[in-house]
Amino acid sequence: MCGAAGGTYGLTDVALSPPGVVPFVALLLLQRRPVAGRALLGTSSACPTNGLCRANVLEQTRRQVALLNATAQDLFSLYLKCQGEPFSSESDRLCSPSGIFFPPFHVNRTTERKEVMVAMYKLFAFLNASLGNITRDQEELNPMAKELLNRLHNTTKTTRGLISNLTCLLCKHYNIFQVDVSYGESSKDKSAFKKKQQGCQVLRKYVQVIAQAARVLLPHLSPA
Amino acid sequence: LTSFLEDGVCSYLKLPFGEQKKNVDESKPPLPFSASYFMFNKLSAWSRDRKVQSKLLTPADRSSRVLFQFISSYQPKYLLNPLCLFCDVLSRCFKTKEERVEIPVPESSTTVKITTYSISGTTFATRHFEIHKKDISFVPLAPHILSLTPDFSTSTLTLKWSDNGSAFPYGLDASWEIEVLRKETMEDVTRETYNSKLIHEDIIHSWNWKSDMPLECTSHYVKIRRYINITQFDGPKDWSDWSPVEVVPGKDTEPNGSGLFPQDTVVAVGSNVTFCCVHKEGQQIQRMSYGAKDYPLIRLSSRSSAIRVLNANASSASGTNIVCTMSEDWMDGAVLFVGYGPDVPKGLSCETSNFVIIKCTWKPGRATGLYKVRGTKYSLTESISGKNVSCEVNEMKKKHVCGFPVLADQKTYSFILGASNPIGQTEASLLVDLNQRVNPETPEKLTASGNSSTSVHLRWFINGSFAEIRLLCEIEISSGRSEQKVHNVSMPGGKFSNYTVQLNALHPYTKYQFRVRCSAADHFWRWSDWSGTLEYTTLEAPPTRGPDIWRERSPSGKSLRIFWKPLSLSEANGKIVSHEVSCYLLEESLEYKEVMEPSNSTEIKLGRNDCVISVVAKNHAGSSPPSRITSVELPSDNVKTDRAVAMGNGIYISWNSFPNMTCGYIVKWCHSSGSEPCSVDWQKFPSNTTDAVIKSALFRPGVRYNFSLYGCKSSGYQLLKNVTGYMKELPPKRAPNFTVEETSSDSILVKWEDMSIEDCQGFLEGYRLSFAKGEKDALKPRLLESGNPELKVKNITDLTKKSLKILDLQGKTSYQLDLQAYTAGGLSPPNSLYVVTKEDCKLNIPIN
Repeated sequence: MCGAAGGTYGLTDVALSPPGVVPFVALLLLQRRPVAGRALLGTSSACPTNGLCRANVLEQTRRQVALLNATAQDLFSLYLKCQGEPFSSESDRLCSPSGIFFPPFHVNRTTERKEVMVAMYKLFAFLNASLGNITRDQEELNPMAKELLNRLHNTTKTTRGLISNLTCLLCKHYNIFQVDVSYGESSKDKSAFKKKQQGCQVLRKYVQVIAQAARVLLPHLSPA
Repeated sequence: LTSFLEDGVCSYLKLPFGEQKKNVDESKPPLPFSASYFMFNKLSAWSRDRKVQSKLLTPADRSSRVLFQFISSYQPKYLLNPLCLFCDVLSRCFKTKEERVEIPVPESSTTVKITTYSISGTTFATRHFEIHKKDISFVPLAPHILSLTPDFSTSTLTLKWSDNGSAFPYGLDASWEIEVLRKETMEDVTRETYNSKLIHEDIIHSWNWKSDMPLECTSHYVKIRRYINITQFDGPKDWSDWSPVEVVPGKDTEPNGSGLFPQDTVVAVGSNVTFCCVHKEGQQIQRMSYGAKDYPLIRLSSRSSAIRVLNANASSASGTNIVCTMSEDWMDGAVLFVGYGPDVPKGLSCETSNFVIIKCTWKPGRATGLYKVRGTKYSLTESISGKNVSCEVNEMKKKHVCGFPVLADQKTYSFILGASNPIGQTEASLLVDLNQRVNPETPEKLTASGNSSTSVHLRWFINGSFAEIRLLCEIEISSGRSEQKVHNVSMPGGKFSNYTVQLNALHPYTKYQFRVRCSAADHFWRWSDWSGTLEYTTLEAPPTRGPDIWRERSPSGKSLRIFWKPLSLSEANGKIVSHEVSCYLLEESLEYKEVMEPSNSTEIKLGRNDCVISVVAKNHAGSSPPSRITSVELPSDNVKTDRAVAMGNGIYISWNSFPNMTCGYIVKWCHSSGSEPCSVDWQKFPSNTTDAVIKSALFRPGVRYNFSLYGCKSSGYQLLKNVTGYMKELPPKRAPNFTVEETSSDSILVKWEDMSIEDCQGFLEGYRLSFAKGEKDALKPRLLESGNPELKVKNITDLTKKSLKILDLQGKTSYQLDLQAYTAGGLSPPNSLYVVTKEDCKLNIPIN
């Protein structure tokens, strides 16, 4: 049953309350498209001089990406199940990400570390907002689907922790405190079907990109 | 035939064609036209002048005309510039070059002559015929549609038109026939009749029609005609012509129109729903599905197809998906939410806890299957005041709650709880006298204070305005000393007030637990919840009596040890801090001691003297009355020791009556626990007592206790006898050690040792010696367990006997011997020996 809450979700305390980072510090997000979800506006004009990063932030970031990668497919599958047929049986066609905005993530293991971090920041800033939209839509469409809602909430929290860690890494290592971020289209005024479809398209692309991110990140996040 | 329109009037009368033919002279050549006869009434004038209106009934009214209209059917050459001359029976003639003319309505019947002239002015033809008023039809002019408005979200068309009622007399019945058509082929969908009354004013009428197909799917057309039941007219009445058609174009007519319709619709379970997929030119629909099932396509146009879902089942919370799959891998979709209308709210109940808010609760009944924006919305309307509130309910909860403000000077409330969702609405009602529906807020801030050991002031606060009612409060009083009590108190209610009550007859220095709940006193409805529990200990009072005391002289006789028992809680009335021990000889105090708690004895060095000992218990509130005892011990002769009877739960002691023991008896004993000196205990009995069951929580089964019975005389205490006994006798812990002293060829002499009192665990009653042939072999069963028929048993009840010779045994034979001791509690475990008798060459005597 989609509505039944059960099982456990493999999130650790790290994801819920990242011990390795200071409270969420968003980089300046320059809006290129209609904003969906929370607006994360940085007000500082420079990186904080101290106290931004705590120990083991690299390891923690890697673990957060690994956690998202490990849970993404289950989240997507459960999401499909909760939308009703034919989302599960026709997911290839209904959830094809073509036609929706998704931040490019053209990085590989040889890409410079700084570029990887910036691309990651853009990716997870987008995902954070999109997950916010999806969660809001599902709370409206599937209020009984506690398991799905829990997973969406937890994934959003992890991405939020990840953004904080990336913020700190970008500041600490590259003195970057401004990153242009693009968001997807808001689903707020769309039909129920379009909301379901948009969430499905984003999550499907998320499953693919997070796997790539996990692969790429491994060498970059290993302590130098 | 065409209608005639003048001055905004759209009515005409039509003579039936058959009647017309009847009046034509068949012998003459036919007229070059077919003719109908119309009456034209200058009705617009009537609306300006009511006097004229009444003349309608008069056929001679000159304002009434018959309109002749000719339609050429043949001989068109004559109609290039025809001139017709109409002359009625009064020889009034009307010339016209048009194909129509109007003449006054005939009074009853009239003969009309129509002469047609050629262009040159010569008569072409002349015809006479008769017109009867009753043969003239009343045919209103076609109505005009003012607007046709679509509501795509509800698939509803709204048609508006004017009835031109100002042109007709007041009170005429009018009927309107409205026809809806759809698709390019303009297929009939429905034809409905709408009735109205003309009120001599131009009224705009509105008619709504809900389509079973979304309006976006294909074009919809509407036309209207009318029928006016003009009772004053003698002739037949007929429907008007249809109005021009109005159209609501479908999305399939828009160049780029596409989509799946309807979107996000909510319908009731069991509904039939039509969905259509509109696509662009050149695309092709592969299939359309509802949920997991494909449905057959219904073609609406080259760019639009539909499916029809019958008897829809309840959908899941997120609705049922409808998907349209196009040839180019393009999919579009919509969601249908299928659920139930709200159930009638069950168990509506309203009450107030504070006279500020009325809290109404109910259960929603059957689940609608619809949530959030589609979920059931509740509103609470109070009919007397006309006020209403919308209710924010948590649809996940089984019981819903809604608050309504208490209104000034209103005690009776007539509530209507409305429940609505996109499918329907229901309501439940309730009439409430608020004073009879009071469930006060939980009392809080419960405190206690007092300056007496037997009373307390309780104080609490109730968050509510109860000034207009009395409250009944129930105070629950608990303590470890007595059963739980409930104290009810009625008091005037207050506005957000503290309430105080005094409780009396409490016990001193007692820990009480108080809690309070309240209700309305005059019209009980419900108790509030209990307040939190308040613990309060009453103040101390002096102990009510002196302690129970005893004394014992030391073996040397030079000192006296005084014992006292602790007072019970109800006697101590506080925390005993010390005992004052005094020794008086006559009035003189020989010694005084204050012994602090927790000691329960003290020693006084008296030498060989005697005195009266006084013991007073003290707490913070004062001292108890003194308890007194003399140190004098009267001499005793021939003090015997008896056995007590074990009662299982105590030890029964009895004694003879001693008449000179004027102040009772004392049974004293001592508890020994390990190496500690035994602790003295005693129990006092009145003079008329001759037996008692001594009970103590310290008594243990199998332990021997020694009691001393003292008699009390005014001159002192005298030991009367000693008693020993058990609360419960147990089997001895072990058998006595025994040995073989001597064997012969036919006998064995065994001896055993004494047993300690601790090992006996009861009064020893005897020994049991069992024997039979047997060898020391672990594989064989033990003697007592074997059921050996040769087993012999000797029971020794003479406890002074410590040996036994077993006779009549066989020579050179191994015997097993088991020895056990026993008490009233049972047999001890056995001690075993194996003995081989000596060889006897002469005889082989069997064991008897």
